[in-house]
Amino acid sequence: MAGTDSQPSSPEEISAPLVEAGAASSWLTENGFDHQLAPRDHLGIEVIQVAPQFLIPICTALYAYGFNYLQCQGAYDDGPGKALVSFYHLTKVDDNADRPEEVRVKVFLPRNDPRVPSVYWVWKAADWQERESYDMYGIIYEGHPNLKRLLMPEDWIGWPLRKDYISPDFYELQDAY
Amino acid sequence: MVMTPPSAANPLSLAPGEKLANPSAPPAVTHGLSENVILTTVDDLYNWCRLSSLFPLLYGTACCFIEFAALIGSRFDFDRFGLLPRASPRQADLLITAGTVTMKMAPALVRLYEQMPDPKYVIAMGACTITGGMFSSDSPSAVRGVDKLIPVDVYIPGCPPRPEAIIDAIIKLRKKVATESMQDRAYTLQTHRFYERSHALKTVPPILTGQYLQMGTHATPPKELLEAMGMPIAEPVAELVPENEEI
Repeated sequence: MAGTDSQPSSPEEISAPLVEAGAASSWLTENGFDHQLAPRDHLGIEVIQVAPQFLIPICTALYAYGFNYLQCQGAYDDGPGKALVSFYHLTKVDDNADRPEEVRVKVFLPRNDPRVPSVYWVWKAADWQERESYDMYGIIYEGHPNLKRLLMPEDWIGWPLRKDYISPDFYELQDAY
Repeated sequence: MVMTPPSAANPLSLAPGEKLANPSAPPAVTHGLSENVILTTVDDLYNWCRLSSLFPLLYGTACCFIEFAALIGSRFDFDRFGLLPRASPRQADLLITAGTVTMKMAPALVRLYEQMPDPKYVIAMGACTITGGMFSSDSPSAVRGVDKLIPVDVYIPGCPPRPEAIIDAIIKLRKKVATESMQDRAYTLQTHRFYERSHALKTVPPILTGQYLQMGTHATPPKELLEAMGMPIAEPVAELVPENEEI
């Protein structure tokens, strides 16, 4: 997943004519939803890059378009000093579905103030997955009903999966000899 | 009940009242005694009772417990060692730490250990509970060895160890229990039970309050998000209805 978009700072390069728009992206463009294109991943799944302030309008539009299932929500750190990425993998769940359409929405967030609106109100499945992304990367999902740490202890300080995280030197965490 | 061996009396014709000075058969009186009297110490009897009924705590945190559960089952059957898994630490005297212990689980583990009655034993099962195992290189949360938290009697290496290895560890622990003496207990009693250290963590209120969906925050989205969702969804939905029918 990581490394598919290595130049988040220059979305012009990404949306160069090299990448041809997929079905979901063309539908969004037709209906006037602003977004950038990113290269498809190794499975050929369409990747859409969205600015944080347009995430909720675009997600509701995609939900209305038929993406009724949030298959996976997650986050990753794009690299030292680079952006934090929150991604949403959507698919269409239906009776007798055969290779349903899939799309991945990515939001690049500045690592000094990573704030993005929560998609919990569009897909309820985002509840714990956004909590985990908050727990591991410190991405603040605004409007989430219960944004608390999920896996780490509640009094933990820091965001463990960020590239610049330094583990605390607790006695329990030091090497056993 | 002392029996004279018939072979000693018959072939020799002894005068009445005459005794053989050195009979070839074992002496009848002491032989009968040693077959009917048991000599032991209270220590041995007490240890034998304890080692034959080591009740382990039904405790498992990760994949090692799968092997431990196989040991409970009929194929490996550790009931024959007198091990009955207990669900309460108050009834258990053996703690087998099966699986990775994280910083979040550590207080619960120490509390379980403290709740067990003395004398109690700990078996560290698997690489994770000995050194942190495969998590020892870069995990921000795995405790590198439970012996940093509680004293350990037997270590079982493996990732995870086979049930036979646990049986081996239990036999070694039984040997250890068998050599203990009540007289030594005053010297072996632990005054300092586990490594305790005050961390400079910021104390926060607990996350699990028992109120989840009852908090009321799950009912309606905040106003800003409602506006963001409501505005665009109105137009596309109206356009969408025919488009969906096409599909």
